[in-house]
Amino acid sequence: MQLPVVVDQLRKIAGRDAVLDRPEDLMLYEYDAGVRKCTPVAVVFPQSTEQVAQVMKLAGSAGFPIVARGAGTGLSGGAIAPEGGVVVAFARMNRILKVDAANLRAVVQPGVVNQQLSDNVAHLGLYFAPDPSSQKACTIGGNVAENSGGPHTLAYGVTVNHVTGLTVVLPNGEVVHYGGKTAESNGYDLTGFCVGSEGTIGIVTEIIVRLLRRPERIATLLGIFETVDDGARTVSAITAAGITPAALEMLDGWTLRAVEAACHAGYPLDAGAVLLIELEGLAEQVEEQAEAVREVCYQQKAREVRRAQDENERALLWKGRKNAFAALGRLAPSYYSQDGVVPRTKIPAILQFIEGVGKKYGLRIGNIFHAGDGNLHPLILFDPRDPAQLEMVQVAGSEILERCVAMGGSITGEHGVGLEKRNLMPLLFTDDDLDVMLSLHDAFNADNVLNPGKLFPTARMCRETVGPSTHPVLTAEGM
Amino acid sequence: MSATQVSNEVTHELRAICGHENTRERPNGGVYVSPSLAEEVAAVLSFANEHGLSVGPAGGSTERSAGELRTDIVLHLNQLTQVEHYDCGDLTVGVGAGTTIAQLNEMVGADKLMFAGDPPSPGRCTVGGLLATANHGPLRHGYGAVRDYCIGVRFVTGNGRRAKGGGRVVKNVAGYDLMKLLIGSYGTLAVITSASFKLFPAPRQTRTFLAEFKTAKEALVFRDQVVRSPLSPMCLELVSPLARKLMRPETADDAWVICVRASGSDVVLARYRKELGAAITNELGSDNETRMWRAIENFPDSAKLSGDDTPISEISRRIQITVPPERVLPIIEALNALWAGGEIRVAMTGRVAVGHVQAVVWNGNRNTPDVLNEVVEALRKSAGDDLAVRVDGMSNPWPLGPLSMASMRAVKRALDPNNVLRAREIF
Repeated sequence: MQLPVVVDQLRKIAGRDAVLDRPEDLMLYEYDAGVRKCTPVAVVFPQSTEQVAQVMKLAGSAGFPIVARGAGTGLSGGAIAPEGGVVVAFARMNRILKVDAANLRAVVQPGVVNQQLSDNVAHLGLYFAPDPSSQKACTIGGNVAENSGGPHTLAYGVTVNHVTGLTVVLPNGEVVHYGGKTAESNGYDLTGFCVGSEGTIGIVTEIIVRLLRRPERIATLLGIFETVDDGARTVSAITAAGITPAALEMLDGWTLRAVEAACHAGYPLDAGAVLLIELEGLAEQVEEQAEAVREVCYQQKAREVRRAQDENERALLWKGRKNAFAALGRLAPSYYSQDGVVPRTKIPAILQFIEGVGKKYGLRIGNIFHAGDGNLHPLILFDPRDPAQLEMVQVAGSEILERCVAMGGSITGEHGVGLEKRNLMPLLFTDDDLDVMLSLHDAFNADNVLNPGKLFPTARMCRETVGPSTHPVLTAEGM
Repeated sequence: MSATQVSNEVTHELRAICGHENTRERPNGGVYVSPSLAEEVAAVLSFANEHGLSVGPAGGSTERSAGELRTDIVLHLNQLTQVEHYDCGDLTVGVGAGTTIAQLNEMVGADKLMFAGDPPSPGRCTVGGLLATANHGPLRHGYGAVRDYCIGVRFVTGNGRRAKGGGRVVKNVAGYDLMKLLIGSYGTLAVITSASFKLFPAPRQTRTFLAEFKTAKEALVFRDQVVRSPLSPMCLELVSPLARKLMRPETADDAWVICVRASGSDVVLARYRKELGAAITNELGSDNETRMWRAIENFPDSAKLSGDDTPISEISRRIQITVPPERVLPIIEALNALWAGGEIRVAMTGRVAVGHVQAVVWNGNRNTPDVLNEVVEALRKSAGDDLAVRVDGMSNPWPLGPLSMASMRAVKRALDPNNVLRAREIF
């Protein structure tokens, strides 16, 4: 099927104004928040599950690959189109279908923006717990695909802990329902399996999420340290004191100065590191824990521990944290964000290692991360116009992730594997591990219609697929 | 070749894999094996695939007696008790599937940590069994289900491939979440050989507040009051009058009890007293408190019929029901109606704030063989679409049938293509 015919068919399915195919429009869909790019051949905006199913069937019969896309805020390339691929964008499936406050559930379409859901249920005293830094823009569909986290996953878990049911369009166009409103399901936990499968099993078109009640009290503390090491040791000291904060974030001195210059969050300019510590719950409990955390910080040589006095101060402290990535954009044309995880007792060691890697390659690396669960986000600054720099940055990034794995950790805590880390999967998984995952992939998506080239190492995916070289649309168009 | 000859050859081969002392013939045909290494588990499954034999994994047999498994080979995992990693500073632990919940808690308890799984009979229930059944106890209310704190699994697929999912760190989204697939799959996809978990700090002080009500409806109104308050108790459990009577025969059998377990300092516990208010009829601490929660966790394992000392677990079915919390009352009323209308006896406990009810049902005169169909039908009528039911100890644990059988079959074919694991039971 030639490209114009495909576009025509897509318009018949979704409507005349629901398909983009002009190069200037497509450019907007060629990237996410990571470093990879690929221009899709078309973008379609379905408005219903039925339309998604029809698009899926068309992809299967016409032989073009498709990838679902939320807001394109992902950091691992999960929503980047494969060569010759069509993007299924969820901007028009963005409704909150139902809020069931009594049962703490909401039914949402995948295009609903994360923050909008929490805003929408705030008057009921409820919220949706996963809170990626991009929560003002990222969609819940994207959160489901990548199993996204955020600062508050320390206490509440990642997206999979907050999803109980899914409507999924499988690669053969069949619409299935996994789970439901109940906390358990009849049969296998296919909901749990599907969350975080990075769009390689099916396309999710409806999501039943768990809502949480807002806590009675929140205390937000800023622990200020002279050295990164003191801050890093405090992280496991807090946990050792039997306290699980709702969030426990760390910014190193260099990063916090950059953030302060951009956001004016009130961070001290001369500190070696700060910890942003949030405690939530019953007022009495929070007050006791705040006191205990303050003590632990001082035992670990904190210079000062401040507490946000009101909601404005709290919001300001978080503004600095959540806008940190953007703030670093003032210092370099681009950055490469890593997502490694180490056991939290290994944080001091990995930070020293990262410093060494920066020195070795002459790269500026900032650290701003979810310290409480050992989830690092080293931000490596670079200029993408220089291909040598990009390559060096990726080598440095891989070295850091290799060390994370050697310390008993992982290559991704919340961003997903995507394109970016697919070839690092063998660091974590044996051939047999990957074979088992691939057999599950093939049980649903054997023809690779859906999001090919993601998650699995390229060597394993070099099979007969709807890839670029044999692609009928592309060959016809001579692209 | 006769069946006996096959069995002799099979036994011989399995002895070569697992050792003579770890392999024995079952009285009614088939073989028990008790491998001591994951490699041996893989070898047994590969052998079973080659020879078209069925395999049933078994842990502590708390859900179902291993003797009931109709497979050619019963794979006992009780020897896999190795500690793979434990660092109390990281609050993570990884142990072999045969480790019992009691052993695990003993190890981490020494460092003032806690494993949040509290299934019945922790002295026998194994980590592998807990994962396979996705079972839970009262801590489910405050700490989530085992799917929420299992961070990695190692397993052997039905066709003998050793593999893993997840890892050893608390936050990790690399690769497919195979833990979710295996947890609650009742050993039909793979044999779990070890698993890693997130641990929690053990509470330094706890108290349990009891509130008694004449009806289930009033008890659930109180549940809603607690849920809507700022309190976040460790446990919130409903105990029906009959369940209570069976746990403590000396009590009156007319009260529905809500048990709220809280942890914290004296100041925090004082706040619980204030919020829970006049509804509280009793407050338990120390040994009394521990005893009460053990009785709830273990129910009905230690309960006996009054009069003739028959263990309830021998004559009953244990049904795990999950509905949206608002639908708990209709479920309880439907179960009560069954009781009122006939000879079916129903004793209930449950984490009712998360929509869970455990119904232990049996026939009062014990003449009719099974009351399960009647109970499931009543549940279906009263709950509507949002209803999940598991029945422990059944060959097919999901009497309602899965919502998505085609997807389940696809997963089964991927991991156990020759249908070796628990063959002919579910698929």
